[in-house]
Amino acid sequence: MTAVVIIDALLLLLVTATAVAIVEVRSLYASSILTGIYSLLMALVWVNMHSMDVSFTEAAVGGGISTILLIGTIVHVGREEKPIKKRLHLPALIFTALTGAALIYGTLDMPRFGDPAAPIHHYRVPEMMAQTVGFVNGTPGKQKPPEGFDLERYRRFDGRVAGPIPADPKDTAWREKSILQTYGLMVPQVRAAHEPHAEEGHHLHPPDDFNGHVPNSVTSLLAAYRGYDTMFETTVIFTAGVSLILLLRRPRREGYLQPGAVMSDQVILRVVTKLSIPFILIFGFYVITHGELGPGGGFQGGVVLATAFILYALIFGRAALYRVVPPPVSDILAGVGVLIYSGTGAVCMLLGGKFLDYSMLNKELPGDGESLGMTLVEYGVGITVSMVMLTIFNQLAEERST
Amino acid sequence: MTGALGIYNYWIYVVLMMIGLYGVIAKPNLIKQAIALGLFQTGIFLYYISMAVIDGGTAPVWTTILDGAQKYEGPYDNPLPHVLILTAIVVSVSVLAVALALIINIKRTYGTIEYDEIEAMDQADKRADYQRGQVTDAADDVEHKLEGHHHA
Repeated sequence: MTAVVIIDALLLLLVTATAVAIVEVRSLYASSILTGIYSLLMALVWVNMHSMDVSFTEAAVGGGISTILLIGTIVHVGREEKPIKKRLHLPALIFTALTGAALIYGTLDMPRFGDPAAPIHHYRVPEMMAQTVGFVNGTPGKQKPPEGFDLERYRRFDGRVAGPIPADPKDTAWREKSILQTYGLMVPQVRAAHEPHAEEGHHLHPPDDFNGHVPNSVTSLLAAYRGYDTMFETTVIFTAGVSLILLLRRPRREGYLQPGAVMSDQVILRVVTKLSIPFILIFGFYVITHGELGPGGGFQGGVVLATAFILYALIFGRAALYRVVPPPVSDILAGVGVLIYSGTGAVCMLLGGKFLDYSMLNKELPGDGESLGMTLVEYGVGITVSMVMLTIFNQLAEERST
Repeated sequence: MTGALGIYNYWIYVVLMMIGLYGVIAKPNLIKQAIALGLFQTGIFLYYISMAVIDGGTAPVWTTILDGAQKYEGPYDNPLPHVLILTAIVVSVSVLAVALALIINIKRTYGTIEYDEIEAMDQADKRADYQRGQVTDAADDVEHKLEGHHHA
């Protein structure tokens, strides 16, 4: 833990310095590049705090796509900020200082970094880790409890056993009880989810299988517990793609394509690009497919897939890219992704469950149904994200400089 | 981790958010404002992920050793903030993309992306309309603000 805190402190100092530079440097080009650096530093901060999925997304989105989009825009709007007479904007400084002071005053009451007695670690973490959110509070939910799961024991410990938070939050007795609860509750539940089920049918699974459970709790929560949220986030991304088309695409009669710069006369760039694109694509599909086993998923994989196409367009020109993925195809695929997501939900309803109740997809092995549903949903997200990122890049790059 | 170091992350989140807010208010360049908005967002991401950390925890992905001799049984960090933030990051790039598209349209219409120049042009237009008698409401206010501006 000490190592985590030390690395965290140093990285965050670097991050803050980069943030100041991003705002203060006058060249917009430099600012964009610094944004990329900032995102990569942030990705390290997330790894250090064990947040692998977030780190992956930050590296792919912040370090990759955002920087390309910013530079693509700066080409059209000019790379220098207008010189301003006063470097320091005094009203803004006073306002932010006051707001910041108020917020920092608010943080004094926050639970300390990594405190096991913090309220956030008392709310349904064991269930979220065991992917059993939904059945433990007595209501029948998606999954059967894992073998050996003691519902009564859970109810006894359900987040309230240490009693309400006392008036003095530093009450030692309460803290000790609460910490014991956090750790004690976690271990048996996670163990129960690990161990092979004795139920009929589960012996079919090889010993290295997770009994149909999804080892990456982040993906499990993303697609199941927060399934609606994720579906509408995908819709938001789709909407962004539609907005870009409405704002920037020229009428079809004028043609999609304006001549852009091509770098394919550079031998090294050409060869390296052609060599790396297949690996980028395979990696993208790997990340989407294995989202439920390890860090990754539809969002990250989709962005990785998009970078393969964008790299191709950067080196061989957008004319070549449009031969591979014509704009009508990417437009339609962006919608198809959202359709796969909501369609999976609808199929679950047709099979007799609730919307996005994946266990309906395989009634004999509900765990496998969950796995299948999550993979389908991840592919939906991946297709939408990759095609929307591609559309955004195309539209921003296409704009004639004014 | 107790003491001041225990809330260090929350201080940095405030500082990052305020750097972003300062950029949005103080910088007239629209691209700079879009980037500063992104900084503001990352500040909030930091706040969420910092809350998820638990003393002695690790990434919330089950680990298992196949012979079953040794399994890691926790504690794991809270996965819920990770879920919320990973989708928020992708939405933030969508926000950035729409902002950039609007900025390109503004550049096409006004020929500049400096907020103060755009504002001055708008005011000059309103003033011209007022002088032609087309706009009557709130025009006194506009004229009062326009001392010294002679655009378009």
